[in-house]
Amino acid sequence: MTELLAKEAQDEKWGMVIDLDICSGCQACVTACSMENNIPFVGEDEMAYGRGMQWMRIRRYWEGEYPDVMPDHQPMLCQQCGSAPCEPVCPVFATLHSEVEKINLQVYNRCIGTRYCAINCPYQARTFNWFDYEIPAPMNSYLNPDVTVRRRGVMEKCTFCVQRIVKGRQQASAEGREMEDGDVTPACAQACPTDAITFGNLSDPESRVSKMVRSDRAYKELENLGTEPRVTYLKGGKSYGG
Amino acid sequence: MTEKISRRDFLKISGIGVTAATVITGCGPSSRYVTRQAYANMPEYNQTGVSTYYATTCKECPAGCGLIVRTQEGRAIKVEGNPEHPVNKGKVCSRGLTTVQGVYNPDRITGPQKRTRGSRTFTSLDWQAAINTVEEGLKNPQKTAFLLGLQSDHLYDLVQEISEKGGFGKPVRYGTLGTLDGRSTLLRATQELYGFDQIPFFDMANADVVFSFGAHFLETWLSPLAYSRGFRQLRKQPFGKRGYIVSFEARQSLSSANADEWIPIKPGSEGQVALAIGKIAATKAGGATPTLFADVNLNDVSQISGISMEKLLQLSELFGSDNKAIALPGGSALTTKNGLDAAKAILALNVLVENTSQPGGVFPTFGENHTSDFTAVKALIAKMNAGEIDTLFIHGSNPVFELPASAGFQAALKKVKTVISFCTFEDETVIESDYVFPDHAALESFGYQRVLLGSDREAYSSIQPVVAPIHDTKATGDVFLAAILASGGNLASVIPYTDEVDYLHKTITPLIEKEGSYSAGELPTFWSKWLQFGGWWKTAPELSFSEGVINLDQKLSLSPPQSAKEGETFHLVSFATQMGDGNGANRPWLQETPDPMTTVTWNSWIEIHPKTAEQLGIHDDDIVEVKSTNGDFSVEAIVYLYPAIRPDTVAIPFGQGHTALGRFAEGRGCNPAIVWSSEVNQAGDLALSDTTVTIKPTGKRRPLARQESKEGVYGGH
Repeated sequence: MTELLAKEAQDEKWGMVIDLDICSGCQACVTACSMENNIPFVGEDEMAYGRGMQWMRIRRYWEGEYPDVMPDHQPMLCQQCGSAPCEPVCPVFATLHSEVEKINLQVYNRCIGTRYCAINCPYQARTFNWFDYEIPAPMNSYLNPDVTVRRRGVMEKCTFCVQRIVKGRQQASAEGREMEDGDVTPACAQACPTDAITFGNLSDPESRVSKMVRSDRAYKELENLGTEPRVTYLKGGKSYGG
Repeated sequence: MTEKISRRDFLKISGIGVTAATVITGCGPSSRYVTRQAYANMPEYNQTGVSTYYATTCKECPAGCGLIVRTQEGRAIKVEGNPEHPVNKGKVCSRGLTTVQGVYNPDRITGPQKRTRGSRTFTSLDWQAAINTVEEGLKNPQKTAFLLGLQSDHLYDLVQEISEKGGFGKPVRYGTLGTLDGRSTLLRATQELYGFDQIPFFDMANADVVFSFGAHFLETWLSPLAYSRGFRQLRKQPFGKRGYIVSFEARQSLSSANADEWIPIKPGSEGQVALAIGKIAATKAGGATPTLFADVNLNDVSQISGISMEKLLQLSELFGSDNKAIALPGGSALTTKNGLDAAKAILALNVLVENTSQPGGVFPTFGENHTSDFTAVKALIAKMNAGEIDTLFIHGSNPVFELPASAGFQAALKKVKTVISFCTFEDETVIESDYVFPDHAALESFGYQRVLLGSDREAYSSIQPVVAPIHDTKATGDVFLAAILASGGNLASVIPYTDEVDYLHKTITPLIEKEGSYSAGELPTFWSKWLQFGGWWKTAPELSFSEGVINLDQKLSLSPPQSAKEGETFHLVSFATQMGDGNGANRPWLQETPDPMTTVTWNSWIEIHPKTAEQLGIHDDDIVEVKSTNGDFSVEAIVYLYPAIRPDTVAIPFGQGHTALGRFAEGRGCNPAIVWSSEVNQAGDLALSDTTVTIKPTGKRRPLARQESKEGVYGGH
């Protein structure tokens, strides 16, 4: 690793902010994530069993009674916890913390499929490859070469598009500069039609995400569990300020 | 043939390009530095090669969003938005994102076919035979018709030119996304009330209060990504100001779910409600109430719409206050018998608050809008039935699936001697055709899309191939031009294009003279920039101003909406989903992306209010027979108990229920178009929101694959 790469890696602490006031719940992030990360589609039966592989899902809760009923949409994904309940339970260190990006890693070729991590995740953000899912040729042509294609028996989850983080870091290094806010955009944030998702470096106090987490609308999901999530939500208009 | 790619194989393939150090220092082609990598080195942390990015235009709906497609080793990998594009500014919706699953779909038609109607048997042809067949079809202009879809403006323009110069009838252009929006009605109302010839641009971004009458601006309305951005800007105004949205419709859509207030009004009463709001607001403002609003009886409106008088007064005050208000005429208000007058009533609200051509108001857009209304489709069907059509060319539309069964298209098709489809998939219409001459897939073709509905400036969005065609397909424009050239007759002398790209060159040449975001001295430079930037548009927003006085001194004749018989008949709401006009149903990731409101995947459903269901003895996941009250058509649908719908209304999403279109689409859900009423409103649009249905349990059940708790919204079942 060059000096610049090493220095940048030291300062990284990636985080995400999702503004629920403008998140419309349209699911474009879900599709974008699936297309970027080679997520297999499982079909109707497996979806009905609750075995969908989406790394991101929009939680939809109905609130109120007709005619004053409205849904609350909240995108839920791996919160990349600073103190992650999934990590200590893995017997083979397949899920662990990365020193560089300070995110949770899933090392597919270590994973032996005990599924302890998924059981321990309070956000239910992990999905398990129960089968080898078929992508009939030539549809496999669109698979992203930057992302591992997973096989049966391994756990997977949101990676904060780590392949894009690595590319952003290499790009900045190749240009002989330090990384800037906005160099890395995960697939979900890139697609989001209302720009409700912001991604950036939390260790830089001037980054957009750092400013947004200081908002008085900011909260973290299940914060009281002490998981130190790296995803911050900004409360929506309907539930904030009346 | 299918094959599984294992992680190991995939790594082997992608490992060939692993040259991390090379790429960082940027020296030399990667092939010189091939090294085998241990499997422990995940591709996430390595450079697996260098991607090439191409700008093109999304062809999944007519909005014309700009795309940047990432390709690697000649394969289209990922669709991303074009940040410079005036419509979507770098954003993409679920439909656009799955474009690559259309290109690499295993069920594509791989070459020209001569087919046996009503079956799936065919014999393969070569392209010369195909061109000869088209040439034969073009020989008799009086007995030839064109039916085109809303996508690919360049093909429509070319066919239009061929029709004009060759003495053919005007091509019919039809798409369900336009029908569900009531676009012909909106256009007619705009012409008659505002006096300009285009569907307007509604500047939501700069408004304070938005009254939406069934406009699904976050889903499929006109230009969903442009209006999603408008929604964001409305909510994030300077100094923390947050725009307020009130939505009127019988079934809560995603757009209503994101509104601040959802008013479940009776279907068909939107026009009256708009008039009442106008009358109260005008009275509050003082001065004379325009004739258009004056005659409406507020008590009657409250009665028929189901909005209390108190609420009506409160909302009218909000609309007529000092805030910048805007009213959006959406599909559910327009696709009724009252549609044209309802559209005028809603548009008149904008006149009342004087927002036309003002920031936060209504603007004319650019260029003419070419869509045919349903009357034109009916006329075509009548001609087909009368045996006046010998050859029918169908492109970009799936009429057998999209048109109401009562319109009788399928029967009329049998009277046409030669039906030629240009579809890339074996859809319902291809099954009923004699020939299919497959067009390229979206990412393999040239063209352009005029950006009429979602841009604040004049814009043309260019379409270019980002990958080489993977099958033996041919651009439809090229097929027509080759056939004309081969015929060598009169038509060949007046249609002077050698091929599709030549046509595009000649069509965009006038743009060189116009001031745009880039300049070029001559065509080759302009063409390369046109492809590089993904189109041509003006540098700055340039919303034009409509001149002329808008006259509100006219009377509208809105008849009260028909009532459903309580507990017996129900209003049917049909709405578009991520499947668009239905051709998204063969994209597995569109199927597996949950519906935003119900979280259902891989199927369609009928939304019934839990109370109504209880009265009828219907439960979640029951299969019911949905039968139209004015016809003998029925479909079977799976029940979803939906808390946000009027008890006298049921709703079915459009787009599923395919009997063809490939393995991912077939045999899922039901197609509400089958039960639609085929009556039209004054503007010639399908009055599909007037459809009423009866519901009968069949005794069968089938669980829906929903992402929400298996317990369902209201507990066990």
